[in-house]
Amino acid sequence: MENISFRTTVLPLSDRLYRLALRITMNKAEAEDVVQDTLLKVWECRDNWNRINNLEAFAIATCRNRAIDVVKRAGRDTENLDEMVHFSSQTPHEQLEAREEISLVRRLMDSLPEVQRTIMLLRDIEGKTYQEIAQTLDISETQVKVYLHRARTKIKEWITNT
Amino acid sequence: MDYKYIEQLLERYWECQTTLEEETILRNFFRQEDVPASLLPYRQLFIEQDEMAEEHLDGDFANKMLRLVGEETPMHVCKARRITVMRRLRPFYRAAGLVAILLTIGNAAHQSFSDDEDIANGEQMAEIIAQDSLQQITIGQPEQQSAELTTQPADTIAALPR
Repeated sequence: MENISFRTTVLPLSDRLYRLALRITMNKAEAEDVVQDTLLKVWECRDNWNRINNLEAFAIATCRNRAIDVVKRAGRDTENLDEMVHFSSQTPHEQLEAREEISLVRRLMDSLPEVQRTIMLLRDIEGKTYQEIAQTLDISETQVKVYLHRARTKIKEWITNT
Repeated sequence: MDYKYIEQLLERYWECQTTLEEETILRNFFRQEDVPASLLPYRQLFIEQDEMAEEHLDGDFANKMLRLVGEETPMHVCKARRITVMRRLRPFYRAAGLVAILLTIGNAAHQSFSDDEDIANGEQMAEIIAQDSLQQITIGQPEQQSAELTTQPADTIAALPR
């Protein structure tokens, strides 16, 4: 592979990976560390890029796995993150104030199981096709739609019942 | 206004049957302020998703990563900022001001030029009158001379060389 540089090939993925890591870790500093590790990992294996079908999908999968590892290592549950990890670096008073500022909808989205949250992010925020999401998460398109349907149904129920 | 199409799209969105293009139509619809009461509860979801799509890393992150991989040329950091309508229209106001100044200067110059023309015309008229007068004077002199000649005594005429 010729004329590849970190700046033009890997770095542009930063913000997209950050949003994913942030939705999983719910912590800005941790999310930044996850993105840094992911970008370095992707860059280090550049000699093998010709064996990777989709570099972005590879980076997203790597980032997701690392973010899940960070959450698990910290002893937190990836399936129920909403209540505990949003503001881990703040005082209880700051956490309370900040929590009030965050809208109910965002808290609902963040309280979804990790796989539903990730799929919802990739579809509704990053604008990925079902095929791309399936490839990234290594599951079938049908499974992607099932998880997304569950996530959207929950959101709809919460919205219509409040 | 008929919102049936939007309602149908929304129903298909919950069922994961919408295409990315149709989801963009929904997003654009909910971005506007004027949303009917029946659809208003769902607006916040799309607004929140828009906001989440704007989350990004600090500009320093890119420079830190470039240092880590040895591509050290510092990146120019562009910070996104909100621009008010007044600020957005500022170039227009400036252009309009400039045009107004140019028009004022143009008018003043034209006025001044017209005055000069009047003066020039006056001078020209005076010159013409003066020339006319001179011509009349010069024309008048030979007539006088010829009259003088005709009034000369016959002996004088006879004395003239033949």
